[in-house]
Amino acid sequence: MRRAQALLSGMGFLISLAAPVGVEAGSLSASVADNGGDAVKDAVVFATPLAGKASGRTKSTVIDQVDKEYVPHVTAVRTGTQVSFPNRDQIRHHVYSFSDVKTFEIPLYKGTPSSPVLFDRPGVVTLGCNIHDWMKAYVFVTETPYFAVTGAGGKANLAGVPSGEYRVEVWHPRMKGEPKATAQQVSVGGAAAPVSFEIKQKRVWRPRRGPRGAGGDY
Amino acid sequence: MELSVRFRTFRSRVLTFVLGLLVLVQASVFLAVTTAQERNARLHIDETLELTAAAFETELDVRERILLDKARLLSGDFAFKEACATGEHGTLLSAVENHRDRADASVMMVVSMDGDVQADTLHPDQYGTPFAHPAFLDAAMDDDRGEATSIEFIDGEPHQLVVTPLFTPDPTAWIVIGFPVDDALAEELRRSTGTEISLMRMVGDGWQPFATTLDRELRDDLARRFSLDLGEAHKSIPVELDGREYVTWIAPAESVGRVQVATVLQRSLDDALAPTFRVRNILVGIFGAGLIFSILGGALLASRVTRPVAILARGAERVAEGDYTEPVEIEQRDELGVLADSFNRMTKGLAERDRVRNLLGKVVSPAVAEELLRKEIELGGEERVVSVLFSDVRNFTSLSERAAPHDLVRLLNTYLTRVSAIVEEHGGVVDKFIGDAVMAIFGAPLGHADDALRAVHTAMEMYEALDDINTDLGLSGDTRIGIGVGVSTGVVVAGNMGSLNRLNYTVIGDSVNVASRLEGVTKRYRVGVVVGQSTANACPGIAFRELDRVRVKGRDESLTIYEPLGEQASLAPELAAECRRWEEALESFRARDWDGADVLLDGLTEAYPDTYLYALYRERIAHLRAEPPPPDWDGTITYDEK
Repeated sequence: MRRAQALLSGMGFLISLAAPVGVEAGSLSASVADNGGDAVKDAVVFATPLAGKASGRTKSTVIDQVDKEYVPHVTAVRTGTQVSFPNRDQIRHHVYSFSDVKTFEIPLYKGTPSSPVLFDRPGVVTLGCNIHDWMKAYVFVTETPYFAVTGAGGKANLAGVPSGEYRVEVWHPRMKGEPKATAQQVSVGGAAAPVSFEIKQKRVWRPRRGPRGAGGDY
Repeated sequence: MELSVRFRTFRSRVLTFVLGLLVLVQASVFLAVTTAQERNARLHIDETLELTAAAFETELDVRERILLDKARLLSGDFAFKEACATGEHGTLLSAVENHRDRADASVMMVVSMDGDVQADTLHPDQYGTPFAHPAFLDAAMDDDRGEATSIEFIDGEPHQLVVTPLFTPDPTAWIVIGFPVDDALAEELRRSTGTEISLMRMVGDGWQPFATTLDRELRDDLARRFSLDLGEAHKSIPVELDGREYVTWIAPAESVGRVQVATVLQRSLDDALAPTFRVRNILVGIFGAGLIFSILGGALLASRVTRPVAILARGAERVAEGDYTEPVEIEQRDELGVLADSFNRMTKGLAERDRVRNLLGKVVSPAVAEELLRKEIELGGEERVVSVLFSDVRNFTSLSERAAPHDLVRLLNTYLTRVSAIVEEHGGVVDKFIGDAVMAIFGAPLGHADDALRAVHTAMEMYEALDDINTDLGLSGDTRIGIGVGVSTGVVVAGNMGSLNRLNYTVIGDSVNVASRLEGVTKRYRVGVVVGQSTANACPGIAFRELDRVRVKGRDESLTIYEPLGEQASLAPELAAECRRWEEALESFRARDWDGADVLLDGLTEAYPDTYLYALYRERIAHLRAEPPPPDWDGTITYDEK
């Protein structure tokens, strides 16, 4: 019997937030780390104004398929965003989602599909490829236009955020618990103090990607 | 140490030796070979079991991987994922049933990541309930790929369960697929390993096989005997099932869920030893054949020795009985053949010697013959005190004139045979026959303390035998023969006399002459036996009547001569009285009292007219009256002729 020895305990994410310096349109910088202190990439930091309506940023975006991987791995969009899935590979892909927020399927295709996909409900959409088990991408659909995805250093910079009070939350594909649990109230405007968040990560198994070779060069 | 067992026959000794040697050698070989074989067989079983155990684990691993691969393939099916995504129990159930059949599985389930059953082919109506084997899911969660395998019992039935996550593309559910673990599986494994396989699980306090290649009885036996002692795990131990020994290897399987499972691998020792039994049988056969050949060979060998020995023994018995006529016949040309030849030569030699001895015994007396044969023959002699007996037949000369020579020889032979027998009966030796006369010796070559008495008895018996002899010869009246016997005792020289080429064993001395003279004087007194003084002195038990004092021819000294009358003890009183009267008369005679002597003699003559002695003395007195003797007369009478 196979003994699973690998133990991956949940990791915490640390999200640092800095209040925007500008009065009308400031910015907010955050850093996310797990409870081991390591920076967490691909975390979505999003800020919801506590008062008033936010506006803007409902343009479309693109999730490429390059070398049998989705690029980027995590994409944050505001509700109502059109996302197109251009296939840059020479082979076909079969994009699908069984997520409740947006269930769709683009059966085997090459090039760019004629119509993009509209993400009109907030939530997490997990994308897969029917013929490549390991291909995976996440679309985080949020109602606020203020959001950013952490880079390799675990840092995200939310620009163009008007001054005011915000509820800042973080989401990550492997995060334990709901984003609500990470919420922090942050004032944007004046001196921007970077605020950090620490979150726990859950165990996720991935189908393995075979050695690159057959079909990999298309 | 001397062997306490005694063998009565050479044959049994040879057989025992040969068979003992054979048994010793064969038993050693048998023991060495079978021990080595059995050790090898056990070693072989141990090695095989160890290898089988390793192969078995690999086999199980491979099987697990195959099952996992099946599960993975099924879970990767897009349509299945779509069906799962619908969240409709009916659709889900029907999809898992479909996939269960695709995989040829016994059970398939979908369990939520939270551990709730969403579809279960064994329990189609149940869903939303917690999965019954949470530890199994825990193991999967601990695994890199979210996979696990385990033997789990569902409704008491064993299944090998595998679990893999359902990726859509994140893991959204557990796909659990089970495959039957039963006797058929065990049988399949046995085909590839050649080993009895039993999978055991703990039920209550004991272990029960739930998948096994053993038949029912062995299975029950195993359940009774099995106990999982971890000290015995991964080691060969003997376990007896239904009277047969099985070398057993126990591999305790790790327990994933609530169930502890042990794998028991077994090989029959009897099967492994089958070649040993074959060799053993061959050895027993060789042993049996060797035994038979050894018995036959040993018996043959023994008989090659014992048969001629028995023949020789019989030959020796014949020789002991005096039968020299039949030589032993042995065909063999070995040492025993040589022995038989020697034996035959010896027999011939003995026959020769016996013939010589017989002849010698006839020519001389047996005692003399013995003496001659015993010693180296040499001339010369030794001084001995002997009693010499002379006998002679009265009137033989006139008899020989009357009778035909042929009858005379018969008469003589009959007489001499009888007389010789009497002599030999009393231990005397017939020295020689001189015509009708017999000379016998008592005291040489072998002496006795009572030689004189023997001689006197012989003489008396010879005289008494006359009646028988006469009757035998048919003689009566005037033709009857009479004898005279003289006995004298004294020192003589006894030995071989003559020349080296021709000699006699005899005695020479005064006594011989005296005895001869005494024999001669018997007729003067008309008595049968006359003995000399020394002889009479040597026989105190015999009653004698003194006859006279004589001076015989060739001898100056006078002799007192006596007539033996019989045993002193049994002498008739009348005869004793007669003797006393005679002694008085003799005394008067020697005292020249002729009148007194005459008176006494008259009385005696009157009472015993047949006794010539009294008449003889009256006549002598009458003669002495006429011619008175010289003054030195002492009553001795001189006989100038024989």
